[in-house]
Amino acid sequence: MATRGTNRARLLLVSLLVTSLLLITLDLRGVSVVSSIRGFTQSALAPFQSFGSTLISPVGRFFSDLFNLNNTRERIDELEKENQELKAQVIFNEDIEGELKQLKGVLDLAGKARFKTVSARVISKGGTATISESIVIDQGSNAGIRRDMTVIAASGLVGVVKSTTGNASVVMLMSDPAFRVGVRVAGSQFMGVLSGEGQNLFSLQMLSAATDISVGDVLLSRGSSGDVPFVPGVPVGKVVFVENATGQLTKQARVEPFVDLNSIGVVSVVLDSRGNNPGDALVPAAPRPAPTVTVFVTPSPNE
Amino acid sequence: MSINRVPISAGLLLLVFLFQEAFVNRINFFLGGFALYLAFAIAWILREERSSAVLIGFLAGLIADLSPTLEAPFGLWTFTMTGLAFLIVTYVRGSLDSNLSPLTLSIVTTIFSTIALILFVIFGAILGQDLPSLSVLARELIGNALWSFVLAPLYIPIAIRTHKLSLSARER
Repeated sequence: MATRGTNRARLLLVSLLVTSLLLITLDLRGVSVVSSIRGFTQSALAPFQSFGSTLISPVGRFFSDLFNLNNTRERIDELEKENQELKAQVIFNEDIEGELKQLKGVLDLAGKARFKTVSARVISKGGTATISESIVIDQGSNAGIRRDMTVIAASGLVGVVKSTTGNASVVMLMSDPAFRVGVRVAGSQFMGVLSGEGQNLFSLQMLSAATDISVGDVLLSRGSSGDVPFVPGVPVGKVVFVENATGQLTKQARVEPFVDLNSIGVVSVVLDSRGNNPGDALVPAAPRPAPTVTVFVTPSPNE
Repeated sequence: MSINRVPISAGLLLLVFLFQEAFVNRINFFLGGFALYLAFAIAWILREERSSAVLIGFLAGLIADLSPTLEAPFGLWTFTMTGLAFLIVTYVRGSLDSNLSPLTLSIVTTIFSTIALILFVIFGAILGQDLPSLSVLARELIGNALWSFVLAPLYIPIAIRTHKLSLSARER
């Protein structure tokens, strides 16, 4: 009986092996029926595979992640470090972009006035202990900077050079209480003296009581003899309040500077005005009002 | 093996094949992959008698050949599994205890699923199939052996139970 079973199994084996060899031969000879079977299988499997992909995707990497836990942690650390570096790079780039913008602005201003300037970066600010409003720039006497030279930024006057070394200079800001600059009202020849008060508003004292000054007037530096300490025509600030107290010999006003002294990064030191007086050419353009759309509605007689 | 068992066996093997293609193949194992269908089919063959084992081997190979991602000629898995099934029941099954313990079944399944893969590669090479590099091949074989053994407690009981269900009352 066992022999009969063995023989039957061998006969079955041979016939099945021959069948499989026949299938292989047909496939290798390119019989389309055999070749298209897998295409049909793929069509039938596709919905299941799609479902399986959705179901498995959250846990598909479970085994590899489990055994690569240490590598994953290292990778996370690496990516976090890279992320910090990129964030720092972005901040640095934004900083550089801001400086470039300021530099372009100050060069435009100096170029318009045809001043000979040297640009410098602000490398430090006067601390509380110095009790002075000052900054330190990274250019000094080696770049031709001397004491009492005018320092400007993109929007206008910043201050005046107080002291200088080979590679750095200390600039007294307009806001320093000891700061004084002679100004004139743009579009007129009314003159006055602007004083720093240690804050963002300045005190203006006009030289004549008959001066006609009003809110919004632009003040320009009047210029000094030999351009020291101030070159003429540099925008200084805008009148924001006029004091009309009776009994005063001169008119007084409060002035807001054009330059934000708390956020300057790049400045230019005017080395030589070349005898140019830009007059009112450097007055900042007034902001253009946005056009207003007016709609007229005519009610019909029926309403 | 009764003729009624053929569609039941083929149906169950098809289900496992479907599970393999739709789910198991999507899992990213850290080493190689896991041929659940192959292990399941061999575990099933190990519990069969000689003639039925050859027939199950043929059916299992035929279904494995349906895999759309397979580049080997259609019929190669059929040939491999048919021959391997005969070898298993003739030369291996007899030397093992008649009541295969789950542990023995796991070990033998792991060994023969690896042998099946090796034979498939060899036959494919003879037929002119491109072979992967030795390192890739080794990784796949080792990975499959590892997972076949590690995951045996999951699929071996199912293979045993479904095999029992497919038997007629007299065969049991």
